[in-house]
Amino acid sequence: MDSSNDEALDIIITNVVATFRTRCHLNLRTIALEGTNVIYKPEVGKVLMKLRKPKITASIWSSGKIICTGATSEDDAKLGARRLARVLQKLGFKVRFSAFKVVNVLAVCSMPFAIHLIDFTKNNRPIASYEPELHPAATYRIKHLKATIQVFSTGSITVTGPNVQNVATAVEQVYPLLFEVQKPLKKKEKS
Amino acid sequence: MSSRVCRTCGGSDIDVDQARGSAVCTSCGSVLEDNIIVSEVQFVEGSGGVSSAVGQFVSADGPVKAPLLGSGFHTSVGKESRAQTLQGGKRQIQQLGSQLQLNQHCLDTAFNFFKMVVSKHLTRGRKTEHVIAACLYLVCRTEGTPHMLLDLSDLLQVNVYILGKTFLLLARELCINAPAIDPCLYIPRFAHMLEFGVKTHEVSMTALRLVQRMKRDWMHTGRRPSGLCGAALLVAARMHKFRRTVKDVISVVKVCQTTLRKRLTEFEDTPTSQLTIDEFMKVDLEQECDPPSFIAAQHKAKMQQLEQELARKLDDVEGEISCYKDEIETELEKSRPKLRGIYAAYAKEIDPEEAEVLSSTSDPEEQEVEDDELQAATQHLTQDFLCQVIQEEEGRGKKTDDNEVEAGPDMEGAGSQRQAAPLAAILGKLPSAASLGLQQTLDESETGEKPDDEQSEGGELDLDGIDDQEIDKYILNEKEVQVKTELWMKQNADYLKEQKEKEERIKKEKEQGTYKEKPKKSKKKKEQIQASTAGEAIERMLEKKKISSKINYDVLRDLNRGGTGSGGGSSPSRASSDPPNTNTTARKRLNRRRRKKANDTNRDLAANASIMGKRVRLLISSTSKRKKTAVQFYSVGI
Repeated sequence: MDSSNDEALDIIITNVVATFRTRCHLNLRTIALEGTNVIYKPEVGKVLMKLRKPKITASIWSSGKIICTGATSEDDAKLGARRLARVLQKLGFKVRFSAFKVVNVLAVCSMPFAIHLIDFTKNNRPIASYEPELHPAATYRIKHLKATIQVFSTGSITVTGPNVQNVATAVEQVYPLLFEVQKPLKKKEKS
Repeated sequence: MSSRVCRTCGGSDIDVDQARGSAVCTSCGSVLEDNIIVSEVQFVEGSGGVSSAVGQFVSADGPVKAPLLGSGFHTSVGKESRAQTLQGGKRQIQQLGSQLQLNQHCLDTAFNFFKMVVSKHLTRGRKTEHVIAACLYLVCRTEGTPHMLLDLSDLLQVNVYILGKTFLLLARELCINAPAIDPCLYIPRFAHMLEFGVKTHEVSMTALRLVQRMKRDWMHTGRRPSGLCGAALLVAARMHKFRRTVKDVISVVKVCQTTLRKRLTEFEDTPTSQLTIDEFMKVDLEQECDPPSFIAAQHKAKMQQLEQELARKLDDVEGEISCYKDEIETELEKSRPKLRGIYAAYAKEIDPEEAEVLSSTSDPEEQEVEDDELQAATQHLTQDFLCQVIQEEEGRGKKTDDNEVEAGPDMEGAGSQRQAAPLAAILGKLPSAASLGLQQTLDESETGEKPDDEQSEGGELDLDGIDDQEIDKYILNEKEVQVKTELWMKQNADYLKEQKEKEERIKKEKEQGTYKEKPKKSKKKKEQIQASTAGEAIERMLEKKKISSKINYDVLRDLNRGGTGSGGGSSPSRASSDPPNTNTTARKRLNRRRRKKANDTNRDLAANASIMGKRVRLLISSTSKRKKTAVQFYSVGI
């Protein structure tokens, strides 16, 4: 069966999460008072700093570990992380940009057909799980790719994985399974 | 043991007598064995001539020592930890299972699941309650009983999703494939609770047909089965001329009103809803519908398409508007050279810091304003506004000193920044000498102030594609820092106080030498509740358990008085007939249970009182002014 289909499926990456370290201790109060677009959360012990371009939210801990979320591509995430490190540098900390790693990628994809979730779960018994009382989507976990796919009955799926390549592979893997249990559309044009 | 050789004579003919328990060689007569251990079942005659087998059943994974008492009251002395865990688990399963009215077979299966879970060490880090609830729900699913996860969470007062998480994990680890929930399973149960009397069966059948129809119409994927059941039952009830309101149904089915309404509207959209009752019972339509969310998505897509078309048409019109816009701009340019000149003079007066402020705020605003440029009308408006603003700025700049302007309150500073932004809009568009001049001065000031930072990285930060000027926008300058510090200090005064106190406390403790690194958790000892009457005792207990805010104590007290007065009549009917003070079903249930508990305790107390006899009555009559049956139990030492 064709895993890459006739009309190309658009996989839209909505979120990329990355972490990096500055290898130096950061004074959160200084950052909070001297930076724009910052939220200081002393109870938790972190500072949230939002960059405009690329649109990124970063959680900064005093140990120097930083998590960047909200980027739309891996390159964007790296650029945003570097920008952030630059800002911290300018604030006076001896920042060294190290251990940059993309931790999670979230992508959304839409199938042109509806999916029968119960059949899908039956066919893929241990890997897929569907609990309508808890969540309307069926969860399909691919262990060797470390990817999780949530399948909704409307045909849209969300995929999370450690990097963009894994996400693409996961979609290709799951497409034939979804194709089997698709629900043929009867009425395309409703009054 | 079979056919051994005799030691004395070598003969192999050995006679084993089970009754005497001895083995004798038949050739020489020497006794080879005495007191042979026999593995036979012995019978003992009990009272009334009943013979029963001697012995006890010992389970394979039970305790190493045989249980001393055979009646089930196992003491936990001298048992391994694993056995204790299993025992405790079994007890909890029995308790919870009996509340759900599960039969013994289900409970045994649940206990087997629990044993598997314990042997896989999955109970570590999880509350036993959660694990047990998950085991029970696993059994319910595999057996197909009409129990919902919601029921379990109601009983335990735990969030459904937490239980669900545990359940999913256990199902995965134990490789148990629970079959998918069928809403048809729940219909008989809900139908009973809705009290249709004789016609319950018919209504159930109708509701079943409805649910099956909904399944074919794709309404059930991704939805809670209880919601579908609720909708089906409501329609079925109306079809059989029972008046059940939405509220009745939701109290039974445990979904929200909105959900039920939505299901009903979705069903309304299907062609089946157009049939009459008789037709529905006879005919089953062939067509299947698309799932409702799919239809909604298609609808959205259509709307978006329409909007795009409209936008395209607007673009055509805008082309004309932009021509007018250009003409207007050129007109305004001509009328403005005076202001620019004045502005340039103004720009030279202010400090480089001020200029930095202006530029730092101007650039991000510039980007936003550039977006606005696409709309001709707003541009026109801002230009008018700018003329006014610039005139104001002139006046302000010439009146006061620069220091005064800088040291002004935050509002003014913000105001000047805001006004600087629309100024920048003009500057951005018009390639005027003044704006260029400004930027040059800014560049100089910036590079002058911070020449060192760019080089002091340590070589690990790659500066490709990072615009330093943009980065600087993210840093406030000194005045702003001061203002922000003040604000922040005021806002977080409480937190700062706490921190200081904590530090002082730690210092003191360090001096005294009693400083402990981590605060130890002190175990709460349960206090004995001292109360004079049962009602008070119950109130205090409830307060301690901190559920009291949802209970109306007046009614509870009355209930106690009423209950004790008549000697504790039928509690459920009274509880249900009490004026419902609470709205949600969860609270109602809680109330019912609490009242039941209250009534039960009252009955117990009354029973105890009668047992105790006169002495108690004497005590009561002398101490309390309430009714006779109120018991002062703690002083008596029950």
